[in-house]
Amino acid sequence: MTTSTVTPEIVSFARGVRAALADLPADEVDELTDGLEADLAEAYAEDLQRELPDPVAYAAELRLAAGLPVRTKVRHGALGAIGDSLRDTRRDIGIAIHRNPMLSGIADFLGTLRPVWWVLRAWLATWLVAAFFGSEQGYWFGGTGWFFVLAAFIVVSVQLGLGRWQGRGIATFVLIGNVVAILALPIVKAAADNGGSDRYTIGFQDGVSAADPEQVSGLTIQGEPVTNIFAYGADGNPLRNVQLFDQSGHPINLFGDSTEDGVPCAGESQDCSELVQPATLETGQTTFNLFPLGTVPSQWDDSEGASVPIPGAKATYGPAPFVKVPAVMPGPKVQPTP
Amino acid sequence: MDATQLLKGVLDVAVLAVVEDEDGYGYDVVRRLRASGLEEVGDASVYGTLRRLYTAGALTSYVVPSEEGPHRKYYGINAEGRAMLDAQRKVWNEFSTTMNNLLEAS
Repeated sequence: MTTSTVTPEIVSFARGVRAALADLPADEVDELTDGLEADLAEAYAEDLQRELPDPVAYAAELRLAAGLPVRTKVRHGALGAIGDSLRDTRRDIGIAIHRNPMLSGIADFLGTLRPVWWVLRAWLATWLVAAFFGSEQGYWFGGTGWFFVLAAFIVVSVQLGLGRWQGRGIATFVLIGNVVAILALPIVKAAADNGGSDRYTIGFQDGVSAADPEQVSGLTIQGEPVTNIFAYGADGNPLRNVQLFDQSGHPINLFGDSTEDGVPCAGESQDCSELVQPATLETGQTTFNLFPLGTVPSQWDDSEGASVPIPGAKATYGPAPFVKVPAVMPGPKVQPTP
Repeated sequence: MDATQLLKGVLDVAVLAVVEDEDGYGYDVVRRLRASGLEEVGDASVYGTLRRLYTAGALTSYVVPSEEGPHRKYYGINAEGRAMLDAQRKVWNEFSTTMNNLLEAS
């Protein structure tokens, strides 16, 4: 083995070869060119008349002999490939439009509306981010903070639209962002039209809540479903079998219209292991306004397609929050309006 | 007919045969091929072939550091390489016999 000096020409040549292989994985390039300088130095020490070949041609020969693919255009991953194909499609559509005078005129007019799109897509982006955090409200956002986000997105969107920012991947990012924004528009519309009413509908009763959210509204206090009511007399002792009505004479029904479909499940358990025990009036009607509500253990009945009380099981009251509450002091009597 | 075109098809077996005698680094293999009469063999073709045979599992490779200059990468044959060489030797013998017969007969 001869030891040879690596001249600056060899170093620069080797650098050229590695650059021409740069589209390959880095470790592949290392493996392929490991010892290259030593080999070259020795070869040129033996034959001082030799001239260094073209590094690109040398790299191509190396690559071919190693069975590696010929040099390809360096792509920036899958995203870059998608961007490239979208750009190609857009270019083709552009050419087609400009061949037709009418389409060309429409395209020019739409072109003047681009700033409107820049603002629209910024609003869309803000809405999507807000929706991710559950802060969207109709077409807008809950909380003033989101409007600052919107302002920031508008600045970014306009800057991108004006082409103020150039760089690798920016064009692809904008293109994909636009496509996502267009696809998101109908989703935002659907969500905004449905939104609001179901925000406070608590799914305390699975299965029934799939119905129109407006009709499932049972009794809630500050967003929490009321599942039972415990009445106490003036003496502070619990009352049983109290019928409650609202100011219009409607029986207080904790479960809203859902009782039309059958007996509701008690509590929030998924498997519906307990049913509310309805009361029967002397008229034969079934009512759910007799408090406290009793519950009865239940099981799924395939023939009924619903949960039914376990035969022989007895209805019980849920645990009362208090055994006894403070009694009421005698005071001025409140008279009912005659 | 150009000998370099023919060489492309047999460079693998030529490189394996050279390395079978003794482990060698890139330029060493080039020099031995040239000394055997394959004057036209290109440096880069040999280095690339060594790399490809290594990736195919026919060669082992190790780096020998040098105090004075850049390190060298040595290649040696292994069992798989020997098996490959034997198989290709047979193919070459049959092929060259066929070609010799064909060319002498005409």
